[in-house]
Amino acid sequence: MADDSPASHRRDPIKSSVGNVAAQRRRQKAVTVGKERRESLFRAKRLCRVGATGDGDVSVEENDMITDEEGFLLDAQTSSAVGELKSAVASQGKGAMQKRVNALRELRRLLSKSEFPPVEAALKAGAIPLLVQCLSFGSPDEQLLEAAWCLTNIAAGKPEETKALLPALPLLIAHLGEKSSLPVAEQCAWALGNVAGEGEELRNVLLSQGALPPLARMMLPNKGSTVRTAAWALSNLIKGPDPKAATELIKVDGVLDAILRHLRKADEELATEVAWVVVYLSALSNFATGVLVKSDVLQLLVERLATSNSLQLLIPVLRSLGNLVAGDSHTTSTVLVPGHEITDGVIKVLVKCLKSDHRVLKKEASWVLSNIAAGSIEHKQLIYSSEAVPLLLRLLSTAPFDIRREVAYVLGNLCVAPTAGEGKPSLIEEHLVSLVQRGCLSGFIDLVRSADIEAARLGLQFTELVLRGMPNGDGPKLVEQEDGIDAMERYQFHENEDLRNMANGLVDKYFGEDYGVDE
Amino acid sequence: MPFCGRAPKRKGPSLKRKGITRLSRENVTKNPNFSLPSPCFHFEFPLLHRIRTYLSVVKMAMEITQFLLAAQSADAKVRTEAEASLRQFQEQNMPVFLHSLSLELSNDEKPVESRRLAGIVLKNSLDAKDAIRKEQLVQQWMAIDVSIKSQIKDFLLKTLGSSVPEARHTSSQVIAKIASIEIPRKQWPELIGSLLNNMTQQDRPAFLKQATLETLGYVCEEISHQDLVQDEVNAVLTAVVQGMNLADHGPEVRLAATKALYNALEFAQTNFENEMERNYIMKVVCDTAMSKEVEIRQAAFECLVAIASAFYEVLEPYMQTLFQLTSNAVKGDEETVALQAIEFWSSICDEEIELQEFESPESGDSGPPHSCFIEKALSSLVPLLLETLLKQEEDQDQDDTIWNISMAGGTCLGLVARTVGDAIVPLVMPFVESNIVKPDWRCREAATYAFGSILEGPTVDKLSPLVQAGLEFLLNAMKDGNNHVKDTTAWTLSRIFELLHSPATGFSVISPESLKRVLGVLLESIKDAPNVAEKVCGAIYYLVQGYEDAGPSASLLSPYLTDIISCLIAASDRTDGGDSKLRSSAYETLNEVVRCSNIAETSSIIAQLLPVIMNKLGQTMEIQIVSSDDREKQGDLQASLCGVLQVIIQKLSSTDETKPIILQAADQIMLLFLKVFGCRSSTVHEEAMLAIGALAYATGSQFEKYMPEFYKYLEMGLQNFEEYQVCGITVGVVGDICRALDDKILPYCDGIMGLLLKDLASSELHRSVKPPIFSCFGDIALAIGEQFEKYVPYALPMMQGAAEICAKIETADDEMMDYGNQLRRSIFEAYSGILQGFKSVKPDVMVPYAQHLLKFIELVSRDSQRDESVTRAAVAVMGDLADALGSNIKLMLKDCAFYDEFLGECLQSDDEQLKETAGWTQGMIRRVMVL
Repeated sequence: MADDSPASHRRDPIKSSVGNVAAQRRRQKAVTVGKERRESLFRAKRLCRVGATGDGDVSVEENDMITDEEGFLLDAQTSSAVGELKSAVASQGKGAMQKRVNALRELRRLLSKSEFPPVEAALKAGAIPLLVQCLSFGSPDEQLLEAAWCLTNIAAGKPEETKALLPALPLLIAHLGEKSSLPVAEQCAWALGNVAGEGEELRNVLLSQGALPPLARMMLPNKGSTVRTAAWALSNLIKGPDPKAATELIKVDGVLDAILRHLRKADEELATEVAWVVVYLSALSNFATGVLVKSDVLQLLVERLATSNSLQLLIPVLRSLGNLVAGDSHTTSTVLVPGHEITDGVIKVLVKCLKSDHRVLKKEASWVLSNIAAGSIEHKQLIYSSEAVPLLLRLLSTAPFDIRREVAYVLGNLCVAPTAGEGKPSLIEEHLVSLVQRGCLSGFIDLVRSADIEAARLGLQFTELVLRGMPNGDGPKLVEQEDGIDAMERYQFHENEDLRNMANGLVDKYFGEDYGVDE
Repeated sequence: MPFCGRAPKRKGPSLKRKGITRLSRENVTKNPNFSLPSPCFHFEFPLLHRIRTYLSVVKMAMEITQFLLAAQSADAKVRTEAEASLRQFQEQNMPVFLHSLSLELSNDEKPVESRRLAGIVLKNSLDAKDAIRKEQLVQQWMAIDVSIKSQIKDFLLKTLGSSVPEARHTSSQVIAKIASIEIPRKQWPELIGSLLNNMTQQDRPAFLKQATLETLGYVCEEISHQDLVQDEVNAVLTAVVQGMNLADHGPEVRLAATKALYNALEFAQTNFENEMERNYIMKVVCDTAMSKEVEIRQAAFECLVAIASAFYEVLEPYMQTLFQLTSNAVKGDEETVALQAIEFWSSICDEEIELQEFESPESGDSGPPHSCFIEKALSSLVPLLLETLLKQEEDQDQDDTIWNISMAGGTCLGLVARTVGDAIVPLVMPFVESNIVKPDWRCREAATYAFGSILEGPTVDKLSPLVQAGLEFLLNAMKDGNNHVKDTTAWTLSRIFELLHSPATGFSVISPESLKRVLGVLLESIKDAPNVAEKVCGAIYYLVQGYEDAGPSASLLSPYLTDIISCLIAASDRTDGGDSKLRSSAYETLNEVVRCSNIAETSSIIAQLLPVIMNKLGQTMEIQIVSSDDREKQGDLQASLCGVLQVIIQKLSSTDETKPIILQAADQIMLLFLKVFGCRSSTVHEEAMLAIGALAYATGSQFEKYMPEFYKYLEMGLQNFEEYQVCGITVGVVGDICRALDDKILPYCDGIMGLLLKDLASSELHRSVKPPIFSCFGDIALAIGEQFEKYVPYALPMMQGAAEICAKIETADDEMMDYGNQLRRSIFEAYSGILQGFKSVKPDVMVPYAQHLLKFIELVSRDSQRDESVTRAAVAVMGDLADALGSNIKLMLKDCAFYDEFLGECLQSDDEQLKETAGWTQGMIRRVMVL
């Protein structure tokens, strides 16, 4: 104290050097990181099952941790609830209906208490026939709703548990019709969506029982969660692999209009589900693809891409776009014509995605570009002269593997001209030379070394282009500089015959006995 | 086989989306509210008694003079023996020892040297920097017999009248120390009276008055204003202010009085509320500020600075006078006075900035009024400050610890800019524009400094056109002929980048096109003189920081990364700097470059940097160590390099693609760290420890293989009481390792727990390390689960004891409050870890401790001052308790009324995480209640 004069309270000068402050900050950060990790570990242990549930009204307190003891308790409660329901269904007369609703509500509550509902216990206790009974026509809405809700959560269980819903399907489908109230119809659609999501076999059952037309009609109104649930259920229902359902869907009156309308106007959540419908339509059915590309859908997809930041939405939109480009030559030959505004728009939004920080977006956008790059000479020139190429080149050298593979497709496609028939494709020398000069060869040679057959093939194909197509016979030298020979020689005894022949052929042809003699 | 022509178009893969379960909301059932009697626990401070060894009895009292003299002998042997004897005396009989010291101090016949040392030993027997040690000393003093204490105090008061200045001075310090113990406890009520008595008696010598005033000042500094009644305050202030009176007193007395007033101002709240008294005090201070003795003027200005902070709201009527006074001082007075005059305005800025920060957005009716002094004085104040900038010292750029009038002026100018914002710009820019092209370097430097100083405060809209117009000029000025100008220019650039370059939020004065030019200049100038290079590092630091999390803009930097890194490494290799400042700035900037880079694009560059840094670290082992100076240099260099490795490890282990790079190098990296540890014998290297934490996170359970070698350094770190930061960091690393190894840490737990418990019990270890230790208990328990059982009998009592200390923590002291919050949070974390660890295996172990924990949570929940993080931890641990113990605590919970309200409060919070945790806890408790 006393020895210091008061003047010792001297402030820090505004002009200071960075070293000490920075070191202090860095150490502080390192300590904070430890604290954060501790907290997240605690949280993970506590709330280990919080996840996306797709349902807005889930409150946190239900996310209890399940212990063995708790699971046991829940199972016991469930069995007794089913017993209760059984007696309620059997009873007649005054108050019977209220009793049924109460029993259903109790069962529903148990089935929706956690993310691991006691489905097995409910099935063992014989819930399905009782629930089917409760779905009978003329029952009060409240009862229908609770019963359908129970079935929804049972359908969300393991495959054989989902299958247990088979006896309930006809009634669930019947309740989709106009006669039912919207909440009931929506809950039934939800249950059916879970069933359809299970697999091909159950999808076929649903289709043969006529689930598609009423679900499709539910998509027609303008808003509400009903439309979203219906769209989601439909996207599960038309997954194929048989394209018939997709074709059938697009043929339903008003569906195309509804799709366009929702893509144009709906909120992002609904648009997301609708975009998934478009993904499966365009992936499976050539007919549907043909119908779609003649509509405004491309324009709408591009607009969504340009304006949305929601990853959930952007992924199906990109996939739809890529599928539409791949599926129908009409898309590239008459809609995405170079020079049209929309084409520039597409390239622009794809470039935006390439610049994004999100790897999925980068990958999907590259995939779409690769499909466009497989188009006409003009398409190739358009991409080649766009902002995309420098981005792609950078991605090819720095991005994670899955993106690089997609990027390689784009760049490869840019270098070859479309051919009418079979035979060696002709080169676009200008593109090839420039891309190689800008350093893309090492990226492709890297792919040659990859364990992924598809990527390796791509690498070899591009190497072939370089060997064959670089002017002045520069190709072999360039490949050698990038350690390409070594990369190809690894295939000498490769198990994949195709690749082995391709690699060996190239080495023999361009680096045979005569190679290097001139020098 | 050729490229197959038009590559087939490929269809997108179909995603299978899983079924969705619909969850329902459960009704919230309220628990009945039982009211409880307020908690009545018994808190006790654990007092630490040292065991003393009694040596042979020495009759010291008579001989103390000669020992005190011998203890200052030049002969080390004599000195050591004397010190040992004094210590022996102290240990044998503390009261008599202190009594003899005070007698020695008061005796004018004794030599000055022995009296001085007697005073110092006395002072050190009453106060210590360390809080725990201090508490011991206080207890020790209070235990002394009252009659001995009163004799000691009499001796001390008597010494104030000694003719030897040094004795008086020492005595006044010791009196203040005793006052700090006794006055708050009302054990020395007559002190103030007897001091004032010295002042009012006309016949007392001037030196007694001077010593008395000095004592009053020190006493005021030591005690709190609540410890005196208003009458005493009035009397003290009267005595002090009268002591400043020019007519009555000589310069020594007036100086002592002015210094005393500085300390007494804290007590003058009531007096400053009274206009007459305030006018009187202000007049005396202002008069004193014009004394002819420079020291007195300085002390008076120091009072004015303190008044500016403490009584801002009543200054209005005096501002005209104060402006004149400070303005004259800044222009023409001695530097020590001028500095205080500038400080006055800086303090006014501090007050106004704080008022602006806490200003309620609706209206100004709450809170103290903002008088806009700076705004009103602006047109005269700014020119005054600008003039100071031209008073640079030659070569001040070589030493940034320097504090002179130009530094103070620029600092004040920066504060003014923060206070008034845009309004300062038109007042400063003409000065900048006219001076920045003048041939005199002082003009150019002052202009640049002025510009750099006002970059914080004014709006971006106002500044960015100026900065954009001036940027090229500044870049060119990096080639100025004068070193000081370049230094300030580089600093100004760093301010521009810090404040006006934020691509992450979408704004920057640097366009993507100009980035190349900017970097070109910086990377050239980093080769300039060391002080310039060091400022350039700062500029690069803030430049790259702008690109952190900047989305696509972050890529802008990627093409330059290699060059930036190699220039920074070259700068760090330079040997022409006088000290290690440039090197450490260069490395810290390198760290920021790595940290902010876009990992997807630059991973290969960072991967290449790794072996370079490892290699450099390897080379430090070869440095020839001859002196302790060499050892220190080696340690500093290793610190910087370990820091870089820590950042690289953290960066590369943050993505799955790049993590393998660290895993492949982990063995070698660890080997290097072990070698760094090996360079020292008794301490561990703080930065290496920190980097190991990062490595453990990256390697996960693979870290196990390093444990046998590393463990001894972990032990060493945990035992390092003196360098408590090292100990604290080591505790953190134990947590990292627990998370990495999980139960594989078990073989080391006995040792670690033993050391942690010892750390907690130690009174030597700095208190800041103790909260992390409790958190670490949680980490260990979480890692080893039920195996923690054997530590429960040791750890839990410690946690309970600490919980009780929390309840007694002084709430008036911000620093202690902060500490209390840390401690509470860490205790909760310990419980959480242990409860989660035992859950579903051995919950019974914790049942006996549940009641105490619940009481602790309740106590915390009733504290409205608690920190948000404490709330979160408290809510979480309550859930953990319910989750782990289940029906075991049903009855206890039934008896608890507080949790419903507490959870309700948390569920209303804006903090999503808190809400989530509270919801979970509610669910856990409800489950217990229905079981």
